[in-house]
Amino acid sequence: MTGRRVFVALVLAGVAVTATFRPRPAPAAEDQVAAGRRLFLLGCSSCHGEGGDGVRTPDGAVRGPSLRQSGEAGAYYALSTGRMPLSNSEKQPLRKRPAYDAGDQAALVAYVASLGDGPRLPHLETGHTALAEAGELFRANCAPCHSATGTGGALSYGRAAPPLDESTPLQVAAALRAGPGQMPVFGPGVLTDEQVAGIADYVEYLRDPDDRGGLPIGRTGPVPEGAVAWFVGIGAFLVAVAWIGSRSPARPVDHG
Amino acid sequence: MAEASGDRRAERWAAVSFAVATVAAVALAVVYWRGGQPQAEGVFLAVVTGGLGAGIVLWARLATPQDHVTEERHLLGSTGEGMEALASDFEAGGAAFGRRRILVGLLASAGAAFGAALVFPIRSLGPRPGKGFKRTAYAGGGKRLVTADGAPVRIDSLPLDGVVTVWPEGHTRDADAPTLLIRTRPTQRFRPRRGRETWTIDGVVAYSKLCTHTGCPVGLYQAEAGLLLCPCHQSTFDVLDGARPVFGPAARALPQLPLGRNEHGELIALDDFSSPVGAEFWDRDR
Amino acid sequence: MSRAPAARRLVGWLDQRLGAAGFARTALNKVFPDHWSFMIGELALYCFTVLVLTGVYLTFFFHASPTEVVYQGSYGPLRGLPMSEAYRSAIELSFDVRAGLVMRQIHHWAALLFAASIVVHLARVFFTGAFRRPREINWIIGVTLMILSMVNGFAGYSLLDDQLSGTGLRIGYSVVLSVPVVGTWMASLLFGGEFPGSDILSRLFVIHILVLPALIVVLLSAHLAIVVRHKHTQFPGPGRLDTNVVGERLWPSYAAKAVGLFFLTTAVLCLLGGLFQINPIWLFGPFNPAQVSAASQPDWYMGWLDGALRIMPGWEIRAFGFVIPNPFFPGALLGGLTFGLLYTWPFLEAWATGDRAEHHLCERPRTRPLRTALGVATLSFYTVCLLGGAADVIATTLGLSVNAVLESFRAAIFVVPLACGWMTYRLCVELSARDGLPVIAPRRVRPGGGSGPRTRRATWRRSRRRAEPTPGRG
Repeated sequence: MTGRRVFVALVLAGVAVTATFRPRPAPAAEDQVAAGRRLFLLGCSSCHGEGGDGVRTPDGAVRGPSLRQSGEAGAYYALSTGRMPLSNSEKQPLRKRPAYDAGDQAALVAYVASLGDGPRLPHLETGHTALAEAGELFRANCAPCHSATGTGGALSYGRAAPPLDESTPLQVAAALRAGPGQMPVFGPGVLTDEQVAGIADYVEYLRDPDDRGGLPIGRTGPVPEGAVAWFVGIGAFLVAVAWIGSRSPARPVDHG
Repeated sequence: MAEASGDRRAERWAAVSFAVATVAAVALAVVYWRGGQPQAEGVFLAVVTGGLGAGIVLWARLATPQDHVTEERHLLGSTGEGMEALASDFEAGGAAFGRRRILVGLLASAGAAFGAALVFPIRSLGPRPGKGFKRTAYAGGGKRLVTADGAPVRIDSLPLDGVVTVWPEGHTRDADAPTLLIRTRPTQRFRPRRGRETWTIDGVVAYSKLCTHTGCPVGLYQAEAGLLLCPCHQSTFDVLDGARPVFGPAARALPQLPLGRNEHGELIALDDFSSPVGAEFWDRDR
Repeated sequence: MSRAPAARRLVGWLDQRLGAAGFARTALNKVFPDHWSFMIGELALYCFTVLVLTGVYLTFFFHASPTEVVYQGSYGPLRGLPMSEAYRSAIELSFDVRAGLVMRQIHHWAALLFAASIVVHLARVFFTGAFRRPREINWIIGVTLMILSMVNGFAGYSLLDDQLSGTGLRIGYSVVLSVPVVGTWMASLLFGGEFPGSDILSRLFVIHILVLPALIVVLLSAHLAIVVRHKHTQFPGPGRLDTNVVGERLWPSYAAKAVGLFFLTTAVLCLLGGLFQINPIWLFGPFNPAQVSAASQPDWYMGWLDGALRIMPGWEIRAFGFVIPNPFFPGALLGGLTFGLLYTWPFLEAWATGDRAEHHLCERPRTRPLRTALGVATLSFYTVCLLGGAADVIATTLGLSVNAVLESFRAAIFVVPLACGWMTYRLCVELSARDGLPVIAPRRVRPGGGSGPRTRRATWRRSRRRAEPTPGRG
């Protein structure tokens, strides 16, 4: 009888210990790459190929490009903004809710980075560059496509440079280094890691810039301003003029 | 006569308008004294002026006679006698001058000379449009390409699909000299223009950044498509085909800069651009 | 003897020195018709008044100098950057001068609304035929005022030397450059050399605060004086003839309403200036000739020109080594044709209809289907151009290809005016028929009534004689 109780107590103790046991965080690098490979084969290889070399359709079009040169930056950008996985490769990938959680994303990123020598994620130390310098870099390199206020802009043939109001600093850095889609690549020889961090800071500022003038009406410049001038301004003018110019009830009066 | 209730209502509203305007003026002063705030300033200014305006209009409507008055128009043209009298007076006075024809002629030529002389101050407004329109600081060749902060550029600092803006060394403030250095991918089939086969190095090509339509910087490089897009009027240039315009109002390709390397491996310009940069003008090709 | 009230004594004092009592009495009793659409011109006048008042204030703070300075003001994201003194003073005005930003914004909104009011006023005058004899001179003055308001607005916002307006200045420079033969000379003289030069800001400053406002004041005064001289037009109605004007007296009715409208207009402008941010130059950055931003447009009244530049396909004319560059056609030529047509319209219409009589009655648009249709077609043409200027913003907002948008505008520039014009014509004819109004068909009309085929020579000879003002045609 006592032996059975001891056995049960041991089993319960064992369960209790196991229940409080947490999986070991940050598994070894090879484990992460292996885990990433498993996820890759499941969710990505149909378009990007089993070895990440890309897949072409029978008539020669690219269903999924090669990922050999994507690197850490390219993979992080695509996965963390939800652009990948992509259902329709004809249209430009747009930001949406990421399909993978942070752990799976990290594994996939590690695997894709291992496929070649693509760009790494820069080491980001934000808050160090003066915002003025960072703003200048943004206006020189980013504003032509994304606009000076980060609201995005049109590219050729249906493509667009997306608005930056949802981009995190690490995503900005990843995009700069990886040059996803139509975006050019801003390598370490063109922008240092400090400059990249500065631009990420400025993009952060643009998410809530100084709008002391009032309603920002889109921050897209004279187009919405002209619309407001006509619809609100002239509209109000015509209301005033219709009120004043309207006939009020006649009163009996001597002719002057 | 007893006032209609409509009049009393209008009067009350006019009084309210003026009162509100007064309060808003005080509020405006307070806002200003406290340091100012643009939205509050604008709104209170609007209430002051709007209250004044509404009050005046309401007052005008109830206080003024609404009856319509008629006024006769006068004929605009003068009578025949009036025109004759004007003509004869003018001719009579002018006859004193008209008789001395030589003086009239000399006065006319002096006036014309004066008018011509007045043109010369206009000439001082600017220099004669000279070679500057057709040349940049790259002319003569040998200038190093530098970024905005003056640093020279080596080929390997530019990644594939990379783009950077450069200037001739010592001329980073020149408005006609910004140049795009673009590194195309080997898989993008770059087709050099005839005679320009040696103008690129390792897939790096240099074009003028100024659009040939109206001179805006062509800042958008679409790396995947190999296109340069100008945001001003959407002129599109094919980087892989000598920056030939493929859409939009630009009619000429972007001028190309012949690239070379100096003994330190830094990029230099071998000569000026292939054609005048920026917007076109009448004698651009001569 | 009791003293007369102070006001009367003052007027008496003035009258003894100016002898103006009789004139003043005539003026006070002048009659103005009170239709609401006749007050649209006033809206433009009041916008101009606000522009001058706020503009004077701004000149106390703005320095139109290209000298490079380093910003050390209170707006963090620019601190430490080199910029022109012009840009710096504008930033300081916006951030460190109390009420500076609201004044700047009211000024800019007033400029947009000044141009818009003029266009609405021009449309009213056009569609009611109020440009006909004897008002051709005033029409010409009015079109000139419109051009001056647009040029002055462009000069004004280009003074700030920010990235957006500097881009616009370069486009303006390039359009001037594209004029055949004299283009390079004109551009060089205007800018003091190649773009951007160091003279343009101070030249634009003088043009913006002195030359053009002075011209506008002079022409505006002439415009109003001529209206007073002619007396205002009026719509036909009971008791309203070509030979009279029925309405309210200047004093007190019209004066009170005018003053009231002035305050209400100012209220709208102040509301816009305080509540709606306009031209946030601190986000655009100082002008750098090697930089540009997506979504670069001019203010709306220049937008139709920018749109025409975008819609135009990449054609140019080359001959004998010379070239007429592409921007010349949608830029300089279209602008010249537009204003040329506007200036000559009263004379074109008089020639086409043979009607050279004096008119003081407005016409309802539906009774002149061809004129109304042409006017609507023209307005729709410029609206397509205006929307073309926003092509990239439209494409981004609606998720369309900007190439497809521009290509469809290339078709729309022909199709839309034709369709709008035709539909308007049919609508006018239908409405007139339903109202039982006589439709004035575009045939030669003999002054003095009656119609029928007449030779041109006969019509000229007849109109050389002073034409009697005809009673209204109803």
